[in-house]
Amino acid sequence: MFRKTTGTPRPEIQRPDENFEPYEEHSGIPMPVLWIAIALGLWGGLVLLDTREATSVAQEERVDQVVDEQVTAHDDGRAVFAAKCATCHQPDGLGVRGAVPPLVGSAFVAHGPQIVAQILLRGIDGPIAVAGQTYDGHMPSFASALSDMEIAQVASFVTRKWGGAEGALPEAEVTPLREAAAGRQSWQGGAELATIIAGLPAQPAAGSRTVGQVPQAVSELVFAGRGEVWACASCHGDLGQGAETTPRLAGLPAAYIVKQLQDFRQGHRISESMAIVAAGLAPEEMAGLGAYYAALRVPSTATATLGADLARGEALALQGDWSLKVPACFSCHGPSGFGLAPVFPALAAQHAAYTASQLNAWAGGQRKNATLDLMTHISTALSPQDRRAVADYMALLPPVPARTDPQAARNMEQDNGTQP
Amino acid sequence: MNRYLPLSILALGILAFATLMLVIAPGIQMSQRSVPPELQPYTEAEQRGRDQYVSLGCVYCHSQQPRSPDQAPDGDRGWGRPSVSSDYVFDSPHQLGTMRTGPDLLNIGARLPSAAWQLTHLYQPRAIFDWSIMPGYPFLFEVKSAAAPGDTVVAVPADFAPPGGVVVARPEALDLVAYLLSLDRTYPAPIDGLRDDGYAARGEAP
Repeated sequence: MFRKTTGTPRPEIQRPDENFEPYEEHSGIPMPVLWIAIALGLWGGLVLLDTREATSVAQEERVDQVVDEQVTAHDDGRAVFAAKCATCHQPDGLGVRGAVPPLVGSAFVAHGPQIVAQILLRGIDGPIAVAGQTYDGHMPSFASALSDMEIAQVASFVTRKWGGAEGALPEAEVTPLREAAAGRQSWQGGAELATIIAGLPAQPAAGSRTVGQVPQAVSELVFAGRGEVWACASCHGDLGQGAETTPRLAGLPAAYIVKQLQDFRQGHRISESMAIVAAGLAPEEMAGLGAYYAALRVPSTATATLGADLARGEALALQGDWSLKVPACFSCHGPSGFGLAPVFPALAAQHAAYTASQLNAWAGGQRKNATLDLMTHISTALSPQDRRAVADYMALLPPVPARTDPQAARNMEQDNGTQP
Repeated sequence: MNRYLPLSILALGILAFATLMLVIAPGIQMSQRSVPPELQPYTEAEQRGRDQYVSLGCVYCHSQQPRSPDQAPDGDRGWGRPSVSSDYVFDSPHQLGTMRTGPDLLNIGARLPSAAWQLTHLYQPRAIFDWSIMPGYPFLFEVKSAAAPGDTVVAVPADFAPPGGVVVARPEALDLVAYLLSLDRTYPAPIDGLRDDGYAARGEAP
C-alpha cells in the first residue's frame, strides 16, 4: 500500500549537530514521587527507632538477668536449698537414713553459718558422724555452682531453720572463705572438720588417701597419646573437664565410659574422632581409662551458655513433665544428677552444649546405643527449648563427688601444675 | 547535562549519609565497648597463623560468628554463645565470613582444643571424617624418613600415612593451629556486649 506522493515537498527537518547537549528546564518533582520518597524516609526512620528500642530493651533484659542471677534471685536461701540441697538432704532436712546425714540436730549446723558455708565451698569426702550415726561423707563442692550471695543465704537459712542459731552470714564474709577454700580438696570427713570446730562428738578417722598411683600405661594414653591415637587430655582437658561439645569425663561411671568406648569402636555410637581413638585401645586400656576418669574429682568449668529458661530446666530435672510423659531426670540419673553406675551417666556439671547436642542426637536418631531405649522417647518428647533449658540447668550443678581414689586427681594436679 | 551541581551534591549527600550510618555511627557505638578482660591479643605465632588463615582463604567456607538462638541453632550445634562486637577487638581484618560450607570456627579452640587433632585434620581431613569436603593442606607438612629431635610428628592413620616416612608439621602448620586454638570466646558475654538482637528483643520467644 503506497501513499500517493503529492507534489508539495515536506519541510526540511532541523537536526542538531553532534555537539548539541540536551537542555532541561527546571521542573518540580512530580507529587507522587515526592510522597513515595517521604513515605520511605518515614518508614526508614521508624524502623531505626524500633530496632533501637529493641536493642535497649534486650540490653536491659540482659543486665537484669545478670543482676537477678547474682543478687536477688533467692530471697532467703529457701529457693536455693530447694533447688540444690533438698534432693539429698530432703526438704525437711532429715536426710536419708544411712546415706545422707540429717541437718536437723546436726552439731555441724549448730555451729553457725560460717561452718556451713565452709562445708558448701569445699564439700566433704570422708566419714562423718552426725547425730550418733556415721555416714560415708560424699558431698560435692558448691564453690562453682553458687555465688557468694547464694552461699551466704543458704548457709544462713540452714542454720536458722535447723541449727537453732540466730544471725545471718553477710555476703562479704563469704568472699574470704571462698579465697581460703580455693584450690583445696574437700574436707576429709568429720575428722578434718573437727580441727576447726571445737566440742564435736567423736569423729571417725579419715581413711588414708594415698591410694594407688595412676598406672603408667593409662597416664601415657591420657597425656601423650600413641601412634595414630591422640592423647585424651588434648581434647578433654588435663583433668577431664571438657569444654563445649567435648564432654566432661571426670566423675563419669567407669563402666559407662568403657561401654561408650566399646560402642564407638563397634559403630553403635557415632563420632568419627572417637572411632579412631577407640579402635586403637585394648579392652584393658579402656577399663584403665574408665577407672582413671571415674576417680577424678575436678571443679566444674561448665556454665549455662545456651541462654535458655533455667526455671524450666530445673522443673524438668526435679519433677519432669508428665504432660509430655517425661520423668524427672534425677529419677534415673541419681539425686542432683550425680549418675548411677553403670548405666546412667552423671549429668551434673556437664557442659550445656554437649548435653543439648546429645539430647538432639537421641531425638534425631543419630545416637541409639542405650541398653534401655529411654532417652529416645524422652528427647523426642522435649522441645528444642526444653532440651536447651535442661542442658543449661545441668551445667550449673555442682560436680559429681568422687567415690574412689581422690589421690589420683591430686597427683595429676601437682604433675601438671594446674590449679583447679 | 546542565545540572551538574545539584546532581553532584545529591550523590555526595547519599554517600555521606551511607558512610555516617554504616561506618561512623557503628564505629562510635563499638568503640564505646570495653575489651573483655578474658580476651588476649594474639601472640606472634597466632598472628602468623592468622595470616595463614587469611591467605589460605579459610573465610570462603568458614564463618566466625555464632548466631543467637532465634536466628540459628548454633548453640545446639556447640558453636558457642552468640558473639558480640568486642569478641573481635584484636581482629583486623575480621574474618566473620558468611559461607558455612564448613562449621563456624569462632570457638574451635574450645571445642577441639587438641593441637594433635588439628594437625591430623589439616593434613588430611578424610583421615578423620570420610565424608569431609575440606581440602587437605599437605604443603604445610613435610614427609621425613625419621623425625629429628624437636619435630612435631603428626598422627596419621595407617591408610593415609605416606609410605616409609613420618609426617612432620612445618612451622606454618603449627602457627595455623596456634591461631585456631586461640579462637576461644567461651567467656561470658560482656554485659555491654553489642550484637544483633533480632526480633527476640521484644519479648517474643526465641
